[in-house]
Amino acid sequence: MAGAEEIEICEEGEESIEAEAKTERGDEKVLQFLDSLDGYLTLMDSLNSKLREGWFDLASARHSMGTLRINTTLLDLKDHSASSTLQVTDQEVESLGSVPRFALSKWASKGGSGKGKDFSTVADSEMGSPRSPQLRHRGFAEEKPSAKGETVLAADEDAEIKKERAKSLSVFGGLVSPKLRGAQLSFETALETLVEIANTRAAMLTAFERITKK
Amino acid sequence: MYGFEALTFNIHGGYLEAIVRGHRAGLLTTADYNNLCQCENLDDIKMHLSATKYGSYLQNEPSPLHTTTIVEKCTLKLVDDYKHMLCQATEPMSTFLEYIRYGHMIDNVVLIVTGTLHERDVQELIEKCHPLGMFDSIATLAVAQNMRELYRLVLVDTPLAPYFSECLTSEDLDDMNIEIMRNTLYKAYLEDFYKFCQKLGGATAEIMSDLLAFEADRRAVNITINSIGTELTREDRKKLYSNFGFLYPYGHEELAICEDIDQVRGVMEKYPPYQAIFSKMSYGESQMLDKAFYEEEVRRLCLAFEQQFHYAVFFAYMRLREQEIRNLMWISECVAQNQKSRIHDSVVYMF
Repeated sequence: MAGAEEIEICEEGEESIEAEAKTERGDEKVLQFLDSLDGYLTLMDSLNSKLREGWFDLASARHSMGTLRINTTLLDLKDHSASSTLQVTDQEVESLGSVPRFALSKWASKGGSGKGKDFSTVADSEMGSPRSPQLRHRGFAEEKPSAKGETVLAADEDAEIKKERAKSLSVFGGLVSPKLRGAQLSFETALETLVEIANTRAAMLTAFERITKK
Repeated sequence: MYGFEALTFNIHGGYLEAIVRGHRAGLLTTADYNNLCQCENLDDIKMHLSATKYGSYLQNEPSPLHTTTIVEKCTLKLVDDYKHMLCQATEPMSTFLEYIRYGHMIDNVVLIVTGTLHERDVQELIEKCHPLGMFDSIATLAVAQNMRELYRLVLVDTPLAPYFSECLTSEDLDDMNIEIMRNTLYKAYLEDFYKFCQKLGGATAEIMSDLLAFEADRRAVNITINSIGTELTREDRKKLYSNFGFLYPYGHEELAICEDIDQVRGVMEKYPPYQAIFSKMSYGESQMLDKAFYEEEVRRLCLAFEQQFHYAVFFAYMRLREQEIRNLMWISECVAQNQKSRIHDSVVYMF
């Protein structure tokens, strides 16, 4: 009799532990979803602010250089390759199938795969990949010590990117106002933010599906 | 002889000086700008402008308005006033008034050549040209492949022909060559205008020397700042500076080697006329430099009206109207973009 009661108590204990674990996993999923939603809203706000800044800087540049020097009739209609490319890949997520992933390659070289910075890596480290069960942690990321070779490579890449930026602005003339360069940077940041938003949205929808999935 | 213009100026110039002083009284005041800054949208701006001299030009424009429409219509009004003065003028005033147009002609030439390089339709480019800078054979600019052809086919019969002597090369036109051409032409034009005003003598020479020297110096500073970090070499940069002005020649030597805005500030602060301009800006900042230069220019242009019997009032009036149109463009952009708190960043008040 006492043995049967003990077994019953043990079974109840195991059931309650299992239920608790299940609740914890459920709570974790909800927190993941809310984290990604928060990240999405922050990015949308950042995009709105960058676009406003970009349009304002463009108006400042038109005021400074004159309306004849900055207008749509100067845009180049000749065939030329895209300065930035967007790659869309499918990432497999357990029990959810494939989820789209967006990777921006800015100021890619004309040769093909491009030497541009891949912003999907940046989005992963900040927002949390859909595959990773870790919650997003606020705070400063640790800086990795960079080798001398990496620094030189980075400097070369920066010079190349600077050259590409100047080339794309040259439709408005060889000597442009710093305000126009500021506008270019604002729109460039807005483009990066858009890709981050796309990835965050995918992460958010994945987290939501996890919650609703039985 | 200086000082005796009062005896003879009014014979040929009295009517037009009276006209231009009447136009000057019609420039927008601080109260007008304050009203415009309160507008919520572009239709409000149109309503406020209907009570000004621009009213008849904007009244038939349908809603929704665009900022470029406001600028176009205000420019049309300026062109009408200019043409009225030009057709009434006799020599040498008519030549003086023609000189005011040459800057716009240079801008139009560069617009057509650049647009053609980018495979744009010529008609589309002509519609965007400044009306003050139009000339008969402007559409033919699209066929030129290099500067020599540009000169030979089109510009040899225009007033810009004498300015091409330093530009003539057989190099194909590309974005940097076109920019160098623009600045070289403008340099030659400013120097020619300066010499013409010196020949006129009297109050015209004195006041125009000051105004053109300021213009030359401002262009030197803008060329320096805009060329920082570009492929333009120091020697090429120096070649674009005019051979007159307060900064000529030692200031130009120093500006040619500047690599950032703080070095430019260091050079300009040595010259008392520009010390006040740069003192308004903090270190590393260049955002407010344009406004500071425009304010100084407006101050000098307004002073031109304090004296009579000279042609500089016509130049001053045209420049003040262009500043007024720039102000209206800025206010319209800020209202359209819902950035009314930034309106006062660039509006320059005149009276």
